[in-house]
Amino acid sequence: MLEVSHLRKVYGNQETGNVAVGDLSFTVGEKEFVCILGSSGCGKTTMLRCLSGLAPATSGDVVLEGRKVSGPPKDLAYVFQDYSRSLLPWMTVEGNVSFPLRYKGMSKQEARAATAEALDAVGLGNRHRAFPWQLSGGMQQRVAIARALAYRPRVLLMDEPFASVDAQTRSDLEDLLLQVWERYAVTIVFVTHDIDEAVYLADRVLVLQAPATVSVVADVDLPRPRDQITTKALPEFARLRSELLSALRH
Amino acid sequence: MNAASRAGTFLAQFLLPVAVVVGYGLWSSQADSFYFPPLQEIGETFADTWLFERVPVDLLPSLGRLAAGYVLAVVVGVGVGLALGLWRIARLASEPVVEFLRALPAPALIPFALLLFGTGNNSKVFIIALGTVWPILLNTIDGVRGLESQQLDMARSYRIPPRSVLLHIILPAASPRIFAGMRTSLSIGIILMVISEMVASDNGVGYFILQSQRSFRIPEMWTGIVLIGLVGFVLNWLFLRVEARVLFWHRGARGLLREDAGGRAGDAPAPAPADEAAPDATPAIPPTARSSRPVS
Repeated sequence: MLEVSHLRKVYGNQETGNVAVGDLSFTVGEKEFVCILGSSGCGKTTMLRCLSGLAPATSGDVVLEGRKVSGPPKDLAYVFQDYSRSLLPWMTVEGNVSFPLRYKGMSKQEARAATAEALDAVGLGNRHRAFPWQLSGGMQQRVAIARALAYRPRVLLMDEPFASVDAQTRSDLEDLLLQVWERYAVTIVFVTHDIDEAVYLADRVLVLQAPATVSVVADVDLPRPRDQITTKALPEFARLRSELLSALRH
Repeated sequence: MNAASRAGTFLAQFLLPVAVVVGYGLWSSQADSFYFPPLQEIGETFADTWLFERVPVDLLPSLGRLAAGYVLAVVVGVGVGLALGLWRIARLASEPVVEFLRALPAPALIPFALLLFGTGNNSKVFIIALGTVWPILLNTIDGVRGLESQQLDMARSYRIPPRSVLLHIILPAASPRIFAGMRTSLSIGIILMVISEMVASDNGVGYFILQSQRSFRIPEMWTGIVLIGLVGFVLNWLFLRVEARVLFWHRGARGLLREDAGGRAGDAPAPAPADEAAPDATPAIPPTARSSRPVS
């Protein structure tokens, strides 16, 4: 589905510049949920920008469904960390979600249906006429997720999407994300610095060490559907958490 | 309490103008000054002159030229401002020229405008446009440069075509600054409207004021001055109404529309979300303070 091979990104001069992504290789399977775990400043965001085609790689390849990524691909959607800046305050919730659809070749009717379905999926079906700034932070991020879902991507890239909401909202959003992942049968690459979040959500967790190189890969064999209380109480959850913690500290 | 305080504010704002007018009326009625005619005489002359005999002769031509010059300035200022805001090299290259031209007072060009366009409407429209274009241009450039890079990333990742990015993202994002510039320009435009009519003109309110003074019709002169004041007041008021309507999202996003926001969204007007959404929101500032800090 998504293959990354020997991805390298250097800012500035090849030799002396700042290496943001060292030598990164991994693959993501169809409908897989992969979490990429790394501490702040290890090059996670740069890596995502390369994967999404927003930034060109210095060397190496990103291949999405057999096609090399050289600009933003049409089967990919990106959910940014800072929802307040990626949503447009002059458009309603509905306007924000349907805005990209016009340019994807959807008819007005299709776009309206996709928008309504996506807003429904994130539980905001009744807030479609509100403006983003009238909603709480968690709701705004749900709008951003709905916008990505309505676009019908094959791959969803998420850059620490829940990093700036409170803990309760965060766990609600995690459960919501798992639901829509099943419903939309989409492949997700989810970047986070939170170990619990990574283990709770993922099929597989990759640990990144600066400069963005995979140091550990952990398969997460926790049963689905997952539950915030019972899943996190499983011995396997605790084992994975300490494995990943030691990998991060290494 | 809210209604009471609103009524109190209104009363306070109403009292001072009334006091000034009444004060002038009382003083002028016994002052017997040639330069400060009695209020009653000014009022009667005003009614005779401007209701509505000279409206088509002087007022409408003035307003027409103001509108033409202002619209021209908005179109050119926003258009060129967008281009310069987006295109760094062009911006740097044009900077010295723009700085020079905007430092040049537009009235200094009236003789040249008369040579170029003659004494008709065109020279006046030119002067108004030339004087009002700079605040709009510079604020548009600033507005474009203040764009959130993440909004552009979002647009790119969703493959939104450049024309739509310009129309639906860049232009709205810059609109608070554009409006700030337009507001400054509006007052400049009224000034230039009057000045341009005082030189080589045969109609307009400015012309009327000057002619009245020259023929010692002092009450008439005063009615022209009062009329210009009223025109400025009304236009500014209209402008603020339009701005509040177009930029309601801007005030909302800044956390300044809390009451309305609650009503519109149909649930509690939770202040927390607004704070989260805009960490730099400072509700203490007055509603228009942000948008009214123009570069001029």
